[in-house]
Amino acid sequence: MIKMTNVKKAFGTQTVLSDVTFEARAREIFGLLGPSGAGKTTIINILTNQLDADSGAHGIDVSAYETGMMLDEDGLYTRLSCMDNLCIFTDIYGIPRLKAKEALKKVGLADASNKAVSKLSKGMRQRLALARAILHNPKVLFLDEPTSGLDPNSAQSIRTLIETLRNQGSTIFLTTHNMEEAVKLCDYVVLLNRGKIVEQGAPEEICNRHNSYKTVPDLESVFIEVTGEQFCAYENETGIGRFKIAPSA
Amino acid sequence: MTSVKAIFIKQAKDMTKNFSVLIMFIIFPLVAFGMTELVARGGMAGMSEYISDTMFVTMMASIFVGMALIQCACGIIAEDRETKSLRCLVIAGVKPHSYLLGIGGVVFTASLLTAIVFGLIARFERSDFLAFMLIMASGTIASILLGATVGIFSKNQQAAAGLSMPLAMILGFGPMVAQFNYNVGRVFSIFYTQQINVLVNDFSAGITEPLIVIWANIAVFAVLFAIAYKKKGLRN
Ligand SMILES: Nc1ncnc2c1ncn2[C@@H]1O[C@H](COP(=O)(O)OP(=O)(O)OP(=O)(O)O)[C@@H](O)[C@H]1O
Ligand SMILES: [Mg+2]
Repeated sequence: MIKMTNVKKAFGTQTVLSDVTFEARAREIFGLLGPSGAGKTTIINILTNQLDADSGAHGIDVSAYETGMMLDEDGLYTRLSCMDNLCIFTDIYGIPRLKAKEALKKVGLADASNKAVSKLSKGMRQRLALARAILHNPKVLFLDEPTSGLDPNSAQSIRTLIETLRNQGSTIFLTTHNMEEAVKLCDYVVLLNRGKIVEQGAPEEICNRHNSYKTVPDLESVFIEVTGEQFCAYENETGIGRFKIAPSA
Repeated sequence: MTSVKAIFIKQAKDMTKNFSVLIMFIIFPLVAFGMTELVARGGMAGMSEYISDTMFVTMMASIFVGMALIQCACGIIAEDRETKSLRCLVIAGVKPHSYLLGIGGVVFTASLLTAIVFGLIARFERSDFLAFMLIMASGTIASILLGATVGIFSKNQQAAAGLSMPLAMILGFGPMVAQFNYNVGRVFSIFYTQQINVLVNDFSAGITEPLIVIWANIAVFAVLFAIAYKKKGLRN
């Protein structure tokens, strides 16, 4: 469904992606994992034709219209209400405005429908961006860190929504820093580090391969094993659950 | 067509909530009204003998078209670019001409309404009113295209303001300098703002030739916009 073959990308002298090859199959939740700066957003930008790769091939099996996107920047109109933001897109897609109402309900924003975006919290904005991405029931959905910065409850409801969408037949391509989330949610994951794929497969399969199964599949130790680097959690004012990379001891 | 309509509605709603843009469409006629009533018609200190009834209207109208509109169109596009909302539209399949027509349509409508107010303040005769509207409409299209080009080249609103401000100043005030200096007038006569200034000051001289210059400007700006779009895209 989504394919990338030998893709290379450099910004100036900095190589951001080297020889990236993977395939996401239809009706699966595909997770692209990696620390900050690994190149996850760059891959999404290339797949969605917002950025040209230096070499290699890539493609999606459905038309641009049949894809939905929630990007790293939400691109919402801050002076307009939630409903107005969505209605711009129902109009562009030529679908009934009722769909906007439905989408707001799905992400739990029905009560905020007339609130201006500038008055929403970060998590609410994120959910609104997700609502916009699923408005037209796209067959392929790109989600760049859909749960980052959300409180545990909201994150869980987003994950439930993602699973529902998959069960209804959508293919979901998501990126995350959160290994635990990936294990719970994804059918297939690609571990990316500094622009290189270091491991890929079904989460449990990867963990089995690396005997990293303790009580639950532990992708994090796999990552440390294959890269010698660490995904480490830190807490700050932006909240728990963001990860940065630290040199291994 | 549905995209144009969607963008038009979005922009119209957004503009009513965006004071910094809205004010431009109000302040120019307001100042023109005040000056016309107090100075030109009010006979303030006997000045009215030297000042025609329409002088302040034509002055403010030509500054409005040549300055405020460039910045307005430029600011809107630069903001959409900076917030990445434009990127969402592009991804949803909105073509550049649809986007431009939607945004430009709102600015154009607002500008025409403002032009009507200017015309009422000046109390133009019917035929003069029509000529005035024709000139304002043509100038508005030129300014929107020029502003859009600058807006697309700018990464964010600050950069856009930095670029459009001096440009608008030159195009807006140049014609006024030209009134006092023949050589400046000759140089500026190739720019649409100069032609607008000449036209709104004197309809009797015939509006065909100046309109040709204005529409030649529009053609050049349209090409510039197309190049800017190709180079910068509406992405990222
Ligand atoms: N437009 C750009 N110009 C120059 N360098 C860029 C550009 N976009 C991204 N990069 C660089 O490419 C690398 C990968 O960035 P990318 O945004 O893909 O990372 P990411 O995996 O999405 O990180 P995060 O988890 O923080 O979102 C980074 O080192 C970044 O500095
Ligand atoms: Mg990213």
